[in-house]
Amino acid sequence: MITRERAAASRGRTRPRRARTSTTGATPDGVSPGVLRRTWRQSRARVVQQREYGAGFRWLELELPAGFVAPIAGQFVQLLLEFPSPVLLPRPMSVASMRRVRGKLRVGFLYAAVGAGTRALAGLPPGAGVSVTGPLGRGYPLHETGTPVLIAGGRGVAPLLMAAESLARSRRRCEFVFGARTAGLLVGLAEARAQLARARGRLHLATDDGSRGFHGDVVALLTKLAPKLEPPLVIHACGPHRMLAAVARWAIANGARAHLAMESVMACGTGVCRGCPLPRSSEARARVLAEGGHPTESGPAAALKGNPEWAMCCTDGPVFEARDLDWERVE
Amino acid sequence: MSHVTTRRAPVAPEKVDLSVRIGSLVLRNPILTASGTFGYGDEYAHVVDLSTIGGVVTKTVTVKPRAGNAPQRVAETVGGMLNSIGLENVGLERFRDEKLPRLRALAATVIASIGGETPEELETLLRALGREAGVGAFEVNFSCPNVAAGGARYWADPERLERTLAQLKPLTDKPLIAKLSPDVTDIRDTARACERGGADALTAVNTFVAMAIDLDGMRSRLGKATGGLSGPAIKPLALARCWEAAGVVRIPVLGSGGISSGRDALEFIAAGAAAVQVGTATFVEPEASTRVLAEMRTWLAANGIARVGDLVGAFRAEPAQGERATAPARNGERA
Repeated sequence: MITRERAAASRGRTRPRRARTSTTGATPDGVSPGVLRRTWRQSRARVVQQREYGAGFRWLELELPAGFVAPIAGQFVQLLLEFPSPVLLPRPMSVASMRRVRGKLRVGFLYAAVGAGTRALAGLPPGAGVSVTGPLGRGYPLHETGTPVLIAGGRGVAPLLMAAESLARSRRRCEFVFGARTAGLLVGLAEARAQLARARGRLHLATDDGSRGFHGDVVALLTKLAPKLEPPLVIHACGPHRMLAAVARWAIANGARAHLAMESVMACGTGVCRGCPLPRSSEARARVLAEGGHPTESGPAAALKGNPEWAMCCTDGPVFEARDLDWERVE
Repeated sequence: MSHVTTRRAPVAPEKVDLSVRIGSLVLRNPILTASGTFGYGDEYAHVVDLSTIGGVVTKTVTVKPRAGNAPQRVAETVGGMLNSIGLENVGLERFRDEKLPRLRALAATVIASIGGETPEELETLLRALGREAGVGAFEVNFSCPNVAAGGARYWADPERLERTLAQLKPLTDKPLIAKLSPDVTDIRDTARACERGGADALTAVNTFVAMAIDLDGMRSRLGKATGGLSGPAIKPLALARCWEAAGVVRIPVLGSGGISSGRDALEFIAAGAAAVQVGTATFVEPEASTRVLAEMRTWLAANGIARVGDLVGAFRAEPAQGERATAPARNGERA
């Protein structure tokens, strides 16, 4: 464990050098193409806020040092506890909010304290340090033309509220579908309502048991809403994989584009360890093979790097278009 | 070990000679990145100055591309991580055409890791890559625990190792490094066999075969029943295997297994390793290799050790009962 302490001390020492060399490739705060660039770095962040968020979830806000590239909605960071940590590896955390306070970047995360690492995280007071590597992965391609429909399941609401704000900054309003099994699991509903009011998004609620809003799942609600919206629809979704699979199937059947934020166990989070595979669809597989599996650095083909069988959640995703994954094999 | 730590005046850190010779290859220092933990170098090039570390060992390449194993491929256990990647890689053709040119552009000493299910596959790889510019040495992965054929179990046979290395040796002028599995009855047997076969160096060790069970689902926490364990949890185990291997060969040994600090690296060197590899620590901290190097340099300087080579094999076991506790001589000084 001394090692971890030393690691933290060393990171502290090298921080100024990083800050000076990290001025390139800043992502604009607004709508961005979601293209992967290697702008991530490991930095020491400071806890500025921790609080209960309802439904067993917690809200964490971190202040990042200068030079940390601003994440876009759908991207994630690798969060690592400092010494003494009960766990070895960092944990991937989806970025749920981003703002600047007195020139410093503040990012928010929604999490549940369910494991040894997240329980320790929940115990960190304001001022405590954590290590953050990011921003990582490909975020939502919010620039895509069409009517934006944001679909959130439970805690999946977080990155989508950030997406709604990004869209609002480029003067686009969204339809926001928020679903859960039951009313109590509509995580942070009051905050979502307030944020969407600011972003001029229209909120549509659904619960499986009918305890709030539409009685049924988000796909049934989407089916009902879709005829009233101007086509084409561009869906951005986050939630349990089973929900995302249902949204993906709906999008494919109805000719809509859908971008789905996936989750996976990860080790490195940077594409190196090859530890977070997701099954590619036969269509994506054929495209990878047709392109000779050659890497492309940007654009929609970026998700088609290399391996025809498996996409990596961390660098090919975590946001995938519906047609790029085999939803029968997604766990 | 106090004989090397207390009697000398400190030296300036920048004066410490860290260079290491591996066969015909001279490394600027003993810190390398372990295969499979650093991609092809360029993934980390924006955060790690590759010209400062001793070298980069690339992800194992096989003749044909490999898609790798089904999920789950990684699982954390106490102090370590299990992996079952299954040697996912782009294959020989794309490695040569796409990865090698990029590797040449990096300011790094590159050691290419090659893997095969048969001796013939390894021959094919070395015929294609053995004379390519931009590769300083080859590490032959004789120890992947996660493939159905040609993995650690297949290559645990000393005679097969010796015969294969003898076949491979003429195919390249560059040093051949044999990466060994710890999962053998006695690593001294496989170490000696590799030396007899003509290996220029050994890497000790690859991951340990290990498993974790999800009791709720009564299934493996990996897609396969077992995987390879790495990280701090294996450091004491790996250190012992490294010490045993280094004690019976003249060729240099590259220590590997759970190294995440300068002191960890120096323990392997004291046990007989000429150089070390940093692996899983990079997943925790992308700049781990450069930090390990800086910590190593600081310790050597503070303890007045002007050449890292002077520490190689400095540890000597007390005379003890039992056959396995015999003290190895300093690496490189005797057979």
